[in-house]
Amino acid sequence: MVGDRERKELMLRIIDLCESVSGRGVDPFDVEVKEFFERLREILPKLREREELFLDIEAVLGLANVVFHQGEWIKYKSSMLYFDPMLIMWKLHALPPSELAEVFAGSWHPILDMECISPHGIKEAMDYWTNLPSLEDRGAKLDAVEVLPGEIAAQELERLGVLSEEEFVATLERAWKELKGKANGGEISYWDFIAARTFERTVSRAWLVSFLVSYGYATLEVKPLEEEILLKPLPKPMKLERVVTFSVPIAISRSEWLRRRSHG
Amino acid sequence: MAEEKDVVELREKVARAAQLLLYRRHMQPGVKAWELKRDLGRNYAEILKVLDGELQKLGLTVKKVSEGEEGSESVRYFVTMRGHPPVSEVRTFGWRIDDMAILAVSLSYILSKRGKAPLKEVERILGEKFPRWRVEQDIDRFIRRGYLEEDDEGVLYVGWRTRAEVDQKALLGLLLGREKKGKESEGQAPK
Repeated sequence: MVGDRERKELMLRIIDLCESVSGRGVDPFDVEVKEFFERLREILPKLREREELFLDIEAVLGLANVVFHQGEWIKYKSSMLYFDPMLIMWKLHALPPSELAEVFAGSWHPILDMECISPHGIKEAMDYWTNLPSLEDRGAKLDAVEVLPGEIAAQELERLGVLSEEEFVATLERAWKELKGKANGGEISYWDFIAARTFERTVSRAWLVSFLVSYGYATLEVKPLEEEILLKPLPKPMKLERVVTFSVPIAISRSEWLRRRSHG
Repeated sequence: MAEEKDVVELREKVARAAQLLLYRRHMQPGVKAWELKRDLGRNYAEILKVLDGELQKLGLTVKKVSEGEEGSESVRYFVTMRGHPPVSEVRTFGWRIDDMAILAVSLSYILSKRGKAPLKEVERILGEKFPRWRVEQDIDRFIRRGYLEEDDEGVLYVGWRTRAEVDQKALLGLLLGREKKGKESEGQAPK
């Protein structure tokens, strides 16, 4: 006899399996659709509670969706684009980056396009320049306040058990190396560097950058006129002695992050 | 006389089509079918055919990419290279070998999974050959440039630029046809 708990578990397992087909790209033919339908038919008369009946409906819908994916899979297999996935995986593991690059180049037909400024664009630029307030006026309106440097040391995080010193130094070194790679001997926009796929990750990168600058791995240059912040990695970490330092508060809101992300 | 007028008009339209296709007018390159129809008239497809013939002499071609239902107004046209550039030349475009390899792996994996694959899986496979920071940086860049698309659930798809620029069948064919260099030399060894 199948108990209440086993019935529920079976239905949840079917639902999860079906979701993995549509969400995680599991092969739909790995799902024993017929067997699962038979099991569902067996337990159907024993279902009493509303929750159980809902699970049953969800499981049946999930299996129907798997059948739909099986149909799509067959269509895809019969198309010109079908190659054995296992063989592709094997090749991806086996080939070195140089060979993979040749594979890409061999199938690549880059788009040709040119950028030009239109008369409308020239007029807009001229209007912008004419109406641009003086540097002094703009500087006064900058949304930045000079404050004394505060203390948020790695030791503090270490004390709190958030980060070990070794981990932190390694993370910082990685970020520094990445910054050097991206800046390519020059400087890079602060926003371009911290931009990541998620807002949380962007904030985390901004946090790392604050340490890079504070510990002398990089310098931060604020260009108020262009409203731009530039990061320049230093070839070697420098101790900031006899240098006037000040903190630059930079607000990172989710809306700002979304706006910058959508504008590439 | 009338014929001469037609030829002049056709030449003007071909030139206009070239300008529309080659100069970027929006955030993305290329021109939508309805824009061509508006600027060149109903027989814009014929004009593009003439332009394609002219571009062929320069090693270029007009590429049609459908973004939705076939035959709908969402069709977009681009000018692309007819052939493919050699790897040595691609490097002068600002691409590194690693960038190309990362895109080749990402696209091949996504295509082998019927056009969509979780980002985490793609990152895991790439992580076997490339440092994590480069993988993340490149995937972000490829999403921004339209080679890849990502949905809210972290699933990667083939992007509009890949559909326009990459011969997907050739990509998989070349990948499967490529032998590991070490294996080739093993095969040539005397018995």
